[in-house]
Amino acid sequence: MGLIEWSMMATELKEQVSPLTAQALVEDYRYGFHDPENYVFKSAKGLNEEIVLKISEMKGEPVWMRAFRLKALELFHAKPMPAWADTAALSEIDLSNIHYFVKSTEKTEQSWDDVPDDIKRTFDRLGIPEAERKFLSGVSAQYESEVVYHSVVEELEKDGVIFCDMDTALREHPDIVRKYMATVIPPGDNKFAALNSAVWSGGSFVYVPPGVEVKMPLQAYFRINTENMGQFERTLIIADKGSKVHYIEGCTAPQFSTSSLHSAVVELIAMEGARIRYTTIQNWYRNIFNLVTKRAVAHKNATVEWVDGNIGSRLTMKYPAIYLVGEGARGEILSAAFAGEGQHQDAGAKVIHAAPNTTSVVTNKSVSAHGGKTTYRGLVEIHEGATGAKTRVRCDALIMDDKSSSDTKPTMKIHEQQSTVEHEASVSKIGEEQLFYAMSRGLSEADATALIVNGFFDFFVKELPMEYAVELNRLIKLEMEGAVG
Amino acid sequence: MSEPVARKSEIADGTTKRVTVGERSLLLCNVEGEIFAIEDVCTHDGGALDQGELMGDRIMCPRHGAFFDVKSGAALTLPAIVPVQTYKVRVEGDDIYVEA
Repeated sequence: MGLIEWSMMATELKEQVSPLTAQALVEDYRYGFHDPENYVFKSAKGLNEEIVLKISEMKGEPVWMRAFRLKALELFHAKPMPAWADTAALSEIDLSNIHYFVKSTEKTEQSWDDVPDDIKRTFDRLGIPEAERKFLSGVSAQYESEVVYHSVVEELEKDGVIFCDMDTALREHPDIVRKYMATVIPPGDNKFAALNSAVWSGGSFVYVPPGVEVKMPLQAYFRINTENMGQFERTLIIADKGSKVHYIEGCTAPQFSTSSLHSAVVELIAMEGARIRYTTIQNWYRNIFNLVTKRAVAHKNATVEWVDGNIGSRLTMKYPAIYLVGEGARGEILSAAFAGEGQHQDAGAKVIHAAPNTTSVVTNKSVSAHGGKTTYRGLVEIHEGATGAKTRVRCDALIMDDKSSSDTKPTMKIHEQQSTVEHEASVSKIGEEQLFYAMSRGLSEADATALIVNGFFDFFVKELPMEYAVELNRLIKLEMEGAVG
Repeated sequence: MSEPVARKSEIADGTTKRVTVGERSLLLCNVEGEIFAIEDVCTHDGGALDQGELMGDRIMCPRHGAFFDVKSGAALTLPAIVPVQTYKVRVEGDDIYVEA
């Protein structure tokens, strides 16, 4: 991995970009964008160079980042929508009808008391401050485009752990950001990675120094609150040699009649012997398009684990990936998806074995009900020379009724004879006998169904922290109400 | 190294030219007046790099955005991991020769 040098483009840019001052932009907003929600700034709908420059200018970014954004915008416009995906659902997204940047407060608060009341009430209801007190090392809460609250326990800072939002990281640790950002997911990777690179805002930055173990999880919470809004957080986690970290993110959005877009980029870098676990529970409202690129690189003897739960959204396209590039690297991807009425969970996993004695396990479980659709789309690739590589893929789909469907699309590219590949897949319908048995013990049909579905997801739930496990079981029960009969 | 593969005057600074040497497709890259040769294949998916943008001494694959260092061949970003093959270049007058 190396440093992407954007400065050459930046030099050219200096000539072209007229210096917009932050003050002028704020004034422009105050008079130009009156909003009953009292935002500090809300960009006009649609995406063009001017909006990208405004975002960059408001954040006071270095010229190289502005160049990076503009190049990404060019790539976004040039790249077609993915033709292999659910094109009917994707065509519902009106990219010209989205607010690409909504700034809710002037600054990130360190004290919960200082967060504006309306935003605080939302996060209070979501249980964020309580969770922080109970079991987290640090927490970051992002409302619309930027992080509004952030705290991290003192002990971690003493150990040299950096946990902050990406905007702060770019200001305070520009060298690390510049060295690693976009090396795992370059802007040209796909259309939505390009979009995120052009308009990214917020997200988390984590750096764990060599040998440091972060004992309690770090958490970020992402909330979309505006109709027709795009949230484009960018997360970068670097675990230096022999370090360990567990990061958890949760996402929600309220109910609106028209859709919003969530398009994140998450890059994980596990150096030699390091371990990163990344847990996500995404519970978006049914009209959110959740198009996310998540990719990790694991160096020698490093371990990366994605624990990925998807409930809600209109369409989710998410395939957490692990590139095992160092000998003995290990990857595990556990994912669970639930698709209800009008929803398509197009989720999966990608593992690339590019070094000897690398191992991976992929476990995917999906449930479709009320006419929902799930797709498992996966890739396992073993490079020539990756001798002793081992991979095991298992994907199980449970279909609750005749209106619902599920597809499994696994791809295996094996270029090394001295490797072991296992693949198992199953598709099943909920068993009437199972239901009858549970109901004969006094459970209602809905409770019996929820029990069976929870049992199906058990492998996933037991990997979650207790608070998340309880919440997920509750959500599944809610989703299952009225699923049968 | 008998025949020249291209003329330097055909490749402006910051641009590339695709040439065929034997059975190989090579990409000649002009980096600030110096010519470098790489195999015209992205090691990620096997597609050609010739439609990619040359930025300084790095070329971006047009399909998935992987960057390669055209001087050393190193893969600088995922999704590429394996370096691209490089070749020795000699320029005599306007003639470019490649050891391939």
